[in-house]
Amino acid sequence: MADAAIVTEKLTRRFGPLTAVDGIDLQVAAGQFLGFLGPNGAGKSTTIKMLTGLLAPTSGRVQLLGLDFSSNTLEVKRQIGVVPEGMGLFERLTGSEYLNFVGRMYGLDAATTRRRSEELLEFMQLADRPKSVISDYSHGMQKKLALAAAVIHGPRILFLDEPFEGVDALAAGALKALLARMTERGVTIFLTSHVLEIVERLCSHVAIIAKGRLVAQGSLEELRAGVAGELGRQTTLEEIFLSIVGQDDLGRPQMEELSWLM
Amino acid sequence: MADVASQLGVPAQICLIAELRWRVLRNHLRRKNSTLDLIGLIWAAICAGSLVVGLSLAFGWGAYTAVSTERFSWFFPFFWGIFLFWQAFSIFVAGFGASFEFRSLLRFPFSLSAFYVVGLAYGFADFSALASIFWLLALTVGVAIADPSLLPTMLVVVLLFTMLNVTFERLVGSWLERLLARRRTREFLFGIFIMLTVGVQFIRPLLTRYAGGAPSSLPRFLTYLSPFPPSLAGDAIAAAGGGQGGEVFASAGGLLVYIGILSALLWQRLAQQYRGEELSEAAAPSRTVVRPRIPVTRDLLQPFSPQVAAILRKEFRYLSRNGFVLVSLLMPPVLVLLFTSQFGGKHPSVTHHGVSPDMLFPGMMGYVILMLMTPAYNCFAYEGRGIQTYFTAPVRFRDVLLGKNLIHAGVLAFEVILSMSVLALRIGLPSMPVLIATIAAVIFAVAGQFAIANWVSLSFPRKLEFGSMRGQRSSGVSIWVAFGIQIFLAGVCSLILLMGRWTSSPWLPAEAFLGLAAASVAGYFAALDALSGVAEKKKEVLIETLCR
Repeated sequence: MADAAIVTEKLTRRFGPLTAVDGIDLQVAAGQFLGFLGPNGAGKSTTIKMLTGLLAPTSGRVQLLGLDFSSNTLEVKRQIGVVPEGMGLFERLTGSEYLNFVGRMYGLDAATTRRRSEELLEFMQLADRPKSVISDYSHGMQKKLALAAAVIHGPRILFLDEPFEGVDALAAGALKALLARMTERGVTIFLTSHVLEIVERLCSHVAIIAKGRLVAQGSLEELRAGVAGELGRQTTLEEIFLSIVGQDDLGRPQMEELSWLM
Repeated sequence: MADVASQLGVPAQICLIAELRWRVLRNHLRRKNSTLDLIGLIWAAICAGSLVVGLSLAFGWGAYTAVSTERFSWFFPFFWGIFLFWQAFSIFVAGFGASFEFRSLLRFPFSLSAFYVVGLAYGFADFSALASIFWLLALTVGVAIADPSLLPTMLVVVLLFTMLNVTFERLVGSWLERLLARRRTREFLFGIFIMLTVGVQFIRPLLTRYAGGAPSSLPRFLTYLSPFPPSLAGDAIAAAGGGQGGEVFASAGGLLVYIGILSALLWQRLAQQYRGEELSEAAAPSRTVVRPRIPVTRDLLQPFSPQVAAILRKEFRYLSRNGFVLVSLLMPPVLVLLFTSQFGGKHPSVTHHGVSPDMLFPGMMGYVILMLMTPAYNCFAYEGRGIQTYFTAPVRFRDVLLGKNLIHAGVLAFEVILSMSVLALRIGLPSMPVLIATIAAVIFAVAGQFAIANWVSLSFPRKLEFGSMRGQRSSGVSIWVAFGIQIFLAGVCSLILLMGRWTSSPWLPAEAFLGLAAASVAGYFAALDALSGVAEKKKEVLIETLCR
């Protein structure tokens, strides 16, 4: 893929006897908005950690924007933004101090960092608590701040691990608009979420991982074409997801076994 | 509809909680990222166990001797010692086990009375309680061997004293929990604690100066303590030894009254918790504030790269917001003041002749470095989830370490200058060769330690809670490595200073230390790149430990 933003080859990660990610070959074109889905424990967070340098692969290769991650670490990191699992915030700084810190860490000059910090705080509606440290923020406010920090340097690829978890509907609307605008400008977005409706609304492409293996990848239309829905009705992402992943769950206890709860 | 389980009895609930605490401890030990860390913990447990057993033998022998020789007044210090240890240790020192919040049990179907009983039983699981009960049993055995007829009285008194202590400890603990829920209160109490700790050190010089009247006023002072529980317990044993049955009942009754009052207060306190008392340090949402635009001023940190400057700023902010660290920075100059009054000046309280500044100055600088370097061995302790930023941002880890070490070195320089000023004011500065040798030795020791401390911080991280003093302990390995390195450095420095003395060459130590300081600084910078590689290798341990 000539204009691929993200390419992985046989990406594998083992934790002792457990293979969390098993030989994933992933390709995401520049400007794509990819939703990365999978059941709990499927390997989503492990994959995103390997793609962002938070975890070393056991084997395989990661290439971002045509650069091999392991041999061009700093150059790659300059061009990506990350909202990691747990958000990665320094909780004893104020929101403004944190954004200034991150901007400078990404090499922005002081004036640009300050200007962008103020604009982002205003946009995220976080500017009204200048003296509060981050640990005093609500969960949703922390998510918004983490997203602001991820975009302050104008990344070309954005990795978001559950970015809408705990964010209220108003803020979520603003964030979705921001992300949509970024993809229009050619930014590639790699997003994991458990909320399939959000992925369906925002993402142009979807990849599904189950038990560490990539089981589906393509545009929503391509995936819909592979799953038969009711006549006259478009197949939803939930139906696609369940038809691909749900089949593996035949061994799961059935509801009848929980009769004492009924 | 789902069926409802029958109510579990209180003894069964206590057993469940004991099992839970054991499992929490066991799983905590299993998560150790190094067997060395576990060895450190086991070694600490062996030391504590030896202390408990050793003091048990001492208490047993003391009780036996006291009864055999009819020196029943000895029981007053015995009971007071156990009482003070039981109460003070549980307040100020974290236990060996992993922390476990008792209030979290409230979500289960407990009645208030069950919650009270379980809460009381919970108090027996502390190290201080277990050790104290061990010592009380040792006292009982000593008494029983010396005079078996005193055993019934001793058993009753020990039982009452144990109940009183555990009730009091739980009461104080529950009040402290409420007080310490707020960071500012925690910092305030920590400040008082530090001042008390330091203040105790001044007792000896004061006693030395004004010791004349102390022995005569001691008995009068002890009479003031007689209404308190440890004295009542001692009274009961003394009265039983003297065959005064009435006094035994009066003292035991006094203990019972105390238990009644403390139990009522504890009941009231736990009832507040049971009803859902909210303990939180989160600030209430503030009103909307229109922020003025701050003009960009000249950056004082311009000589540094943006990344190092950003880390310096961040570290300074963390330092200025950590009240405990700020208060602990008061310690070095205060202790210098203390040492100069004990060993130096015109009226030293410990020695007859004041120690010369040439001897005192290197020793005190060594002590200052010893106190202030320890945090460097766990320099990521307060990063929390923010540690991920260092790995996602385009920054070399050498810059992160450099920024952290620079701010630490700045604090050290400030403290050394402050301590030197106190010293100069009190007893004067040392001679020029010793002054230069000591400063060069400080640079040698600090730069050398930073290189090793950075490796330890990356390899054996331990998350610490910001603004908290309970349960705060670095990993066992980092404590032992810091200890070993500091002993080694102290040995090297002492040897060089003594060589100067033996060879009667006052400038020899200065020359040697200047050479060592240059080598140490060069070694420090050479190690930074290698440490970037270590950080890359250890990032999973770092992230897992600090994001937990």
